[in-house]
Amino acid sequence: MMHTNQHEAATMIFIGPTGGMKPDLNGLFPDSSDTLVRQVCCSADKPALIEEVVALIGDEDDPHALLAQKAALMVDEMLENALYAAPRTADGTALFPQREPRSLLPDERITVRYRYDDSHLFLEVRDSWGSLTQGQVFSHLAVNTQEAEPDPDRTGRGLFFMWRLFDHLYVRIYPGKETVVGGSLLLQPVAR
Amino acid sequence: MEQHFSYDLAKDAGQEVAFLSGTIDSQAEPSFGELQKQVSGPSLILDFSDVGRINSMGIALILRCLKHLTRERDLQVQIRGVSQINGMLFKMSGIFLMAKEVPTRKT
Repeated sequence: MMHTNQHEAATMIFIGPTGGMKPDLNGLFPDSSDTLVRQVCCSADKPALIEEVVALIGDEDDPHALLAQKAALMVDEMLENALYAAPRTADGTALFPQREPRSLLPDERITVRYRYDDSHLFLEVRDSWGSLTQGQVFSHLAVNTQEAEPDPDRTGRGLFFMWRLFDHLYVRIYPGKETVVGGSLLLQPVAR
Repeated sequence: MEQHFSYDLAKDAGQEVAFLSGTIDSQAEPSFGELQKQVSGPSLILDFSDVGRINSMGIALILRCLKHLTRERDLQVQIRGVSQINGMLFKMSGIFLMAKEVPTRKT
């Protein structure tokens, strides 16, 4: 299911089965006292954050190990987007090259929220740029779905992986203020 | 502990094999450049048995490497030792269209 909802200046994009939940931020990532919140200060925070999420899930059997691997990839992609794809000049040029370590600017915020309840992992990353557009989201998903020829330089592959691996994916954009990207992963039996 | 990307290019039963290990992301770009230069051909196996996470930037590096080796240098490249999650990413991004997967050789 694909659902878009205009609310004031924000755009909410939700993709996935609702399963009875309300497709807004509170419905998709229910608030709970065991939700962990981390502020990112620099790109060097990424490995420790990934390890923290992976350790929470554990690797006691194949389903847990696969969930942990998916979670690690999702945190990686979401943080790369927040650290390197989101910061842009007014004309849309990326501010920071991908391979170079960086610290956050004084007025920049990246917040990671996650929660694991022994069956679902909820993950969310918000940046303070709001530079992603609704058009880019749909375009990234469409081009990576439709193009059969493997192209190394195709953009939006990270978002495409999120869409394919998350059980649901949501993106809320306040243009110029904030982008929130989140989703959930379900602990599932591993196919043999 | 995150393991940086590295590779070891060796002959395995007369076949040139690149044993890859660690995380494949944007930091692996210089190593992939070196690997491409060192491969002598005419065929190569990329062994992913010791590879951990591959993100979208890593997938782009692998696609670029395969494009260079198979289309510009006409090498026959095969892939082995791919984990379940990396196999999903390879299918989604078309890597298996450029290099066939072969079983990992039992030692």
